[in-house]
Amino acid sequence: MTRDIKRPVPFGRAARAVFDLALEGMVWSRRSLLMVVLVGLPVLVAVAYRVGVAARLTASLTPFALYGDLVVFVYLRNILPLVALFYATALVADEVEGKTLTYLLTRPVPRPAILAGKFAAYAATTLSLALPAVLVTFFVLLTRSTGMSLGAGAPDLFRDLGVLALALLAYGALFTLMGVLLKRPLIPGLLFLYLWELLANLPGYLPRLTLTAYLRSLVRHRPADEGLAEIFGEVLPALLCLEVLAAVVVVCLAAAAWIFSTREYVMDQ
Amino acid sequence: MSATIEFVRASRWYGPVIALNDVSTTLGPGVTGLLGPNGAGKSTFLKLCAGQLAPSQGEVKVLGIPSWGAPELFHRVGLCPEADAFWDQLTGLQFLTGLLRLTGYDEAECRQRAENALHAVALLDAKDRKIGGYSKGMRQRVKLAQALAHEPEVLLLDEPVSGMDPVNRRRVVDLVKKMGREGRTVVVSSHILHEVEAMTRRVLLIHNGRILAEGDVREIRDLMDEHPHTVALRARDPRALAGAVVGLPHVLSLTFGTDGEWVTVQTAKPDELYGNLAAAAEQAGVTEMYSPDENLESVFRYLVAR
Repeated sequence: MTRDIKRPVPFGRAARAVFDLALEGMVWSRRSLLMVVLVGLPVLVAVAYRVGVAARLTASLTPFALYGDLVVFVYLRNILPLVALFYATALVADEVEGKTLTYLLTRPVPRPAILAGKFAAYAATTLSLALPAVLVTFFVLLTRSTGMSLGAGAPDLFRDLGVLALALLAYGALFTLMGVLLKRPLIPGLLFLYLWELLANLPGYLPRLTLTAYLRSLVRHRPADEGLAEIFGEVLPALLCLEVLAAVVVVCLAAAAWIFSTREYVMDQ
Repeated sequence: MSATIEFVRASRWYGPVIALNDVSTTLGPGVTGLLGPNGAGKSTFLKLCAGQLAPSQGEVKVLGIPSWGAPELFHRVGLCPEADAFWDQLTGLQFLTGLLRLTGYDEAECRQRAENALHAVALLDAKDRKIGGYSKGMRQRVKLAQALAHEPEVLLLDEPVSGMDPVNRRRVVDLVKKMGREGRTVVVSSHILHEVEAMTRRVLLIHNGRILAEGDVREIRDLMDEHPHTVALRARDPRALAGAVVGLPHVLSLTFGTDGEWVTVQTAKPDELYGNLAAAAEQAGVTEMYSPDENLESVFRYLVAR
């Protein structure tokens, strides 16, 4: 293959090469161990529920209602945003802290391709860990022995998987931007998740400034909310939700790529 | 000499700290030693060459192209950074092939080039071991291998032999000299004079962000010979030792350490001092001797003061 040394390596090839380099490090990291624990928690809840049912304990929730609660309150509202926060803010920060960014920045590749490859590795890692956990939760709760039909729940399952994947992408893009913009993005990220995102429970247009409102509107489960959310919870049109979430992904990644391309990274000795 | 690296009134500062100050110089093919004490601005000089930093003022060009914001330059430039940093979970071969893929080679060529580079630094036998399990010297060598695997025209090496054992140090020195002979522009930074001397006679002296001198390393040696040397001696009877050396014509000053065991002698001719010292040392029972001047810092201080 002839290389054109007057130009950087094409974007797609460069991003793929970065993806391959980044993937192994991401999958076999301590962060992934933490993620397995996090995404495994709802599975444990589901197993405990099944054990309780088998022991003929009285359950106040049906299996499907519990599954809906786990999807909306646990995966969508807490676990996946946290997973996105821990992974995506570290996409560049880890390389800076480990001083390995120099190796990537001294290759003939466009800098946005480095970010794209790393984001793709993030998406592959988190999706391949989170979605199977949701599947297992679903199957543990909704089997014949619990009196529920798997077939009846399947459309919801596929929809849930799609929304959860979108959540990982949207939060991931936002936190990638925070990661390249801020030196210490974890605290601002947590504040965003647990203060700003509470706006989703307020009346009027304020919920539209949160990701939660759009993601929550896309799932069919409507678990009983508490407090303000119970009073003001609004379901936004699905098309609007998809458009906004797609825009968040594109705009945040584009901004992150621009910042990453123009910023100097000084690796202290 | 055609210039492959060109600094035109280049300065670089980090906030209020000036790391490189109004530097103008050109470097051409062959090996050039970038010599200076820690914190002199050597790494900043190399980072400017490698497009890791933009000059705050002035211009830095490599192969005729401004180095900042020109990724295509890295087809022809290799950097061996100083930091001991790796993706430790990768093997030596994976590390090199991964980076070569980023340089645009196909799989087969990546592997071939990676193996050639690992062979050049004597790491082929360890190619399938994880870098996390490499010794410090092996890590230094694999870092060097990634810089030269794509056979760059310009090679920037930041303290490349630090932490290496003498055999591998020799190997790397030979490799650097060979690359210089092949017509590549090799810039090697170090704060140890004899390390640089082993690779080249052409040096660039840098101190406090300024180019202090550039030229043949022998000139630096001559300057060092004019520089008053300090020799510290520990003796059982330091006063007897002082009495023996104080009459020597080239001894400039003599001080006693506070612990009563050390004598510090300043001399204009260290070789003569060492020659005359044998008998006195035996009588006074000298147990330890070293020269605090055996580092570049004192030479630079001396040069700056001249």
